[in-house]
Amino acid sequence: MTELEVLDRINELLDADDAATVNTSMRLPVALRDAAALAVEHLGLGGSATTLTAAALRTALETAVMERALEAHHVMHPGTRPTLAEVAFALAAQDGSTLADHPELIERAAADVLVRHPDADADDVLLWAEAQQALAS
Amino acid sequence: MRTVILDNEAVQALAAPDHRKHRQVLAHLAAVVARRRKGATVTAIVPTAVRVEAGWDRSSAEAAALNRFRLTDHPLDRRTADTAAAIVAGTGVSVADAHIGAVASTATGDIVVLTSDPGDIALASAPRRVTVVRI
Repeated sequence: MTELEVLDRINELLDADDAATVNTSMRLPVALRDAAALAVEHLGLGGSATTLTAAALRTALETAVMERALEAHHVMHPGTRPTLAEVAFALAAQDGSTLADHPELIERAAADVLVRHPDADADDVLLWAEAQQALAS
Repeated sequence: MRTVILDNEAVQALAAPDHRKHRQVLAHLAAVVARRRKGATVTAIVPTAVRVEAGWDRSSAEAAALNRFRLTDHPLDRRTADTAAAIVAGTGVSVADAHIGAVASTATGDIVVLTSDPGDIALASAPRRVTVVRI
């Protein structure tokens, strides 16, 4: 299977009816299972350890598929990959942050952060930009 | 918890790599993924009336790439249709924008709408507070 076929098949499975269940032979560390049971009983986390596990697994799979789909898209369509500054700007806009009114500040922050931290993400850029803004005021 | 809703033009931009706003919408999806990777509950959704307006048929071969981004459908069920109908009657916005407003009025947490028409979205969503992001 190609990666795109794998992504499409995972998407089909994630969208399928959840009613059918299976007794899985997946091995779970005992301590993790016990921690989940305690969290469900005393912290109100999920309806049961099983639903908690399934929800966490679904979230992880969905995020991975979204990320790989974006990556595959950028490979197929060179030039579509947003820069770190563009992602940071999008994040600021979604957050309703005033930084979204200062794209030039985000642009500079992204350039500065990448010099010191090549693996920086969009939140790192916004934190840096906010710090620069605070210093300047 | 955050719900990011795409309007018609956001979907059109995402569907066409040569659309001038394509990269901008991809940046928003990348932002959604970035927050999800940090454990935040963020969902990107498309109301089905928006999908109709944008001509997005999930069963068509051409939609494969778009389907892969995992934008969740928000169906126009009975309750949502009632709310949307009231929004159309009260504001005169399009059916698709009214569906966005109906989703916003019932969803919990932060609502973000990616739109080319902030005015209509603000009208359709009122009095619910939403973050309207112009694309």
